[in-house]
Amino acid sequence: MSFDFGRVALVLCFAIVPIIGIFLGLNAPGLRSRGPILVGVVAGIVPILAMYIPKGFVSGPEGMGPRLDNWLIILAGFALLLGIVNVLQNNFKKIGRRESGWFFSVVLLTGLFVTGGFGVYGALSGVGIGFNPDGSPTPFKYMTDWFFQPLQSTIFALLAFFMASAAFRAFRARNVEATILLIAAGLVMLGRVPILEFLAVPFPFFHAAAASGSQALGKLTEWIMDVPNGAAQSGIIIGAALGAASMAIRVILGIERGYLGLGKGE
Amino acid sequence: MSHLPPIGVWIAAFLTLSALSFLYKDNPFFRFAESLFAGVSLGYYVGITLDQTLVPNLIEPMQQDFGKHWDLLVPGLLGVLLYMRYFPRIGWVSRYALAIYVTYYIGLDFTRRLHGEAMPQIARVIVALPGPNPLAFVFVVGVLSVLVYFFFSMEQGPVTRRISRLGIWFLMISFGAAFGFTVMGRVALLIGRLNFLILDWIYPILGI
Amino acid sequence: MRAFLERLLRLDRRWIFLFVLLSVAIPIVIPLGLPVTTTESTRKAFEFIEAMKPGDTVLISFDYGPSSAPENDPMAEAVMRQCAIRKLRFIVIALYPLGGLNLASNAVAKVVAEYPDLKYGVDYVNLGYKDGASAVMRRMGDDIAGAFPTDEAGTPLAQIPMMKGIASLRQVQLVFTVATGIIGEWWITQVHPQVGTPIIIGPTAVSAPKYYAFLNSGQLEGMLGGMKGAAEYEKLMRAAHPEMERFYGSTRDFTATKGMDGQTVMHTVVLLFILLGNLAFFLTQKRAVR
Repeated sequence: MSFDFGRVALVLCFAIVPIIGIFLGLNAPGLRSRGPILVGVVAGIVPILAMYIPKGFVSGPEGMGPRLDNWLIILAGFALLLGIVNVLQNNFKKIGRRESGWFFSVVLLTGLFVTGGFGVYGALSGVGIGFNPDGSPTPFKYMTDWFFQPLQSTIFALLAFFMASAAFRAFRARNVEATILLIAAGLVMLGRVPILEFLAVPFPFFHAAAASGSQALGKLTEWIMDVPNGAAQSGIIIGAALGAASMAIRVILGIERGYLGLGKGE
Repeated sequence: MSHLPPIGVWIAAFLTLSALSFLYKDNPFFRFAESLFAGVSLGYYVGITLDQTLVPNLIEPMQQDFGKHWDLLVPGLLGVLLYMRYFPRIGWVSRYALAIYVTYYIGLDFTRRLHGEAMPQIARVIVALPGPNPLAFVFVVGVLSVLVYFFFSMEQGPVTRRISRLGIWFLMISFGAAFGFTVMGRVALLIGRLNFLILDWIYPILGI
Repeated sequence: MRAFLERLLRLDRRWIFLFVLLSVAIPIVIPLGLPVTTTESTRKAFEFIEAMKPGDTVLISFDYGPSSAPENDPMAEAVMRQCAIRKLRFIVIALYPLGGLNLASNAVAKVVAEYPDLKYGVDYVNLGYKDGASAVMRRMGDDIAGAFPTDEAGTPLAQIPMMKGIASLRQVQLVFTVATGIIGEWWITQVHPQVGTPIIIGPTAVSAPKYYAFLNSGQLEGMLGGMKGAAEYEKLMRAAHPEMERFYGSTRDFTATKGMDGQTVMHTVVLLFILLGNLAFFLTQKRAVR
């Protein structure tokens, strides 16, 4: 067993301290919030320190930083599946009570168990979830190719219709700001696709003029994207980055505790 | 002579049409497709997380060389701890795992925001002003006016009010441009689905 | 005129939907073959990869799902084809949870079938999907095998010949992220400043406007913005490599270039809708003022 310093320090901070905290928290409710915040401070600071401290136990191959990265890849996997429990609870309840639309809960759970079941089988049997060695798809991949992909694509494709309808009914030049927005949108839409060439298809004598008009609109669009849009985006990025960085400090230091379901005083 | 497409294409075509049927009105076919989508998506999460993350990064390393990877027990247990939130009496113990998960990723975000966003973007504004291109001036004015709009949004004097108005105009140009791009993005999705229906389903049936 | 426009505004929106459907469907059945003009950001991306030396490694990250596949798939395929022609090695990974891996595997299978000389583990490798995207990127900056101990099928990285000289992202000459959202941005804001690897992005059109700020600041080597960017790339590929005609000259298969026909018709329709909507708005408003 390897007991290098970085590894032991991590285990101490993120296993021993929580275990002690949980035991103490059983009898002292106040510790139920202070313990996690303390552990959180360390978890938030380690990846930052690992960038600046070139010492083996912090940023070396087996140091705290890289080791913690490995751990958090695994923890992210667990976190991704967290919502499934809620879905299971709600849908089983709906079916049990025969609430309206319970049949669709059956459909949802069937989809979940069949696809998930193929996934678990693929992962644990070693068959995998991609192609078989002969190039045929595994059952999980079949579900993904012919159920999951078309459904996801089509549900998002519905947005195209609603966007066109909104353009017709809601996109109005009501004031100066909305007019600027509308003109920019119009120019960009004209400049990104060869609309002039399309409109000139039935009129061959306009083809050359349409092509050069299209070129000019394309250049104007690029300028809009580079300069006014680029400037606004830089401003947004700088503003949001400074805001998010200060928020990050508040979360890491435990001043902001909303994510733990705690108010400021708790 | 038509050549029928494989069964998978028929399933996908049926689901595509079921989802599109919402455009006419809400109906059981759409609700079926919607519910199936939610279920299959969650099942997909289960498959990829287990096969691609938990098995190769957690289970196999410990199986192959426990002495070298014994510490991976900790993220495994922390992962299980996350699920304790579903047991109301001891739900608070999941806060340890949640705190580690959230603050670690926020720590990464902190470095990203400063290193990758604020600093390079500010540097770009400082460098641009004496540049050879007079239009660079427009860029600098744009960035600064947008920032004034953001940071002086609480108290505004006559000067800052005018500058932040200019900032709003820059933002409007950007949002307008974004709308133009969004049209393209949304239409692309529809093009993709209709391509599937026409090229992969209808054409083979017709033998084209 | 005003009465007509008012009636038009009250039109059942299902007529609009039908109009949209036909506007996109007709150009698929009857391709228009409209021209595509290239932009600087796409040319820069193309030229960067063209200038890479044979044997260099490109990491292609599938950071998108089926919800944006018609935009992103052609980009990923074009760059993989370019790698195959230019004898560049490519590593494929997926960091987008909802479908990224499946699209990656399908795109690899498609391009490898087109270039039978490509050998798995020598010319290309598919490392699969991993949760926790930003932690994965960070780990790859030090040690790729730390984040991806095995490839997609479960083969340990140590047994893959191509990965012998590639311990971390520092030995990768380019990251090409094909992205639908925030994950693509992390390559620019996290990996580029912390590891230094050059980045090219192929974002969806929706997120492309933001990346102009990163192009301006020199954090990006190039960008293929949405389906238009993909179509531009296809045009550049056809011009530089005539053998690409077999993929991009086809009228039967789906390409971004073909998709641009539908885009053009739909853009015309949306502009017309905005124009008509505003005309009706102003005419009715004028009457209200009177």
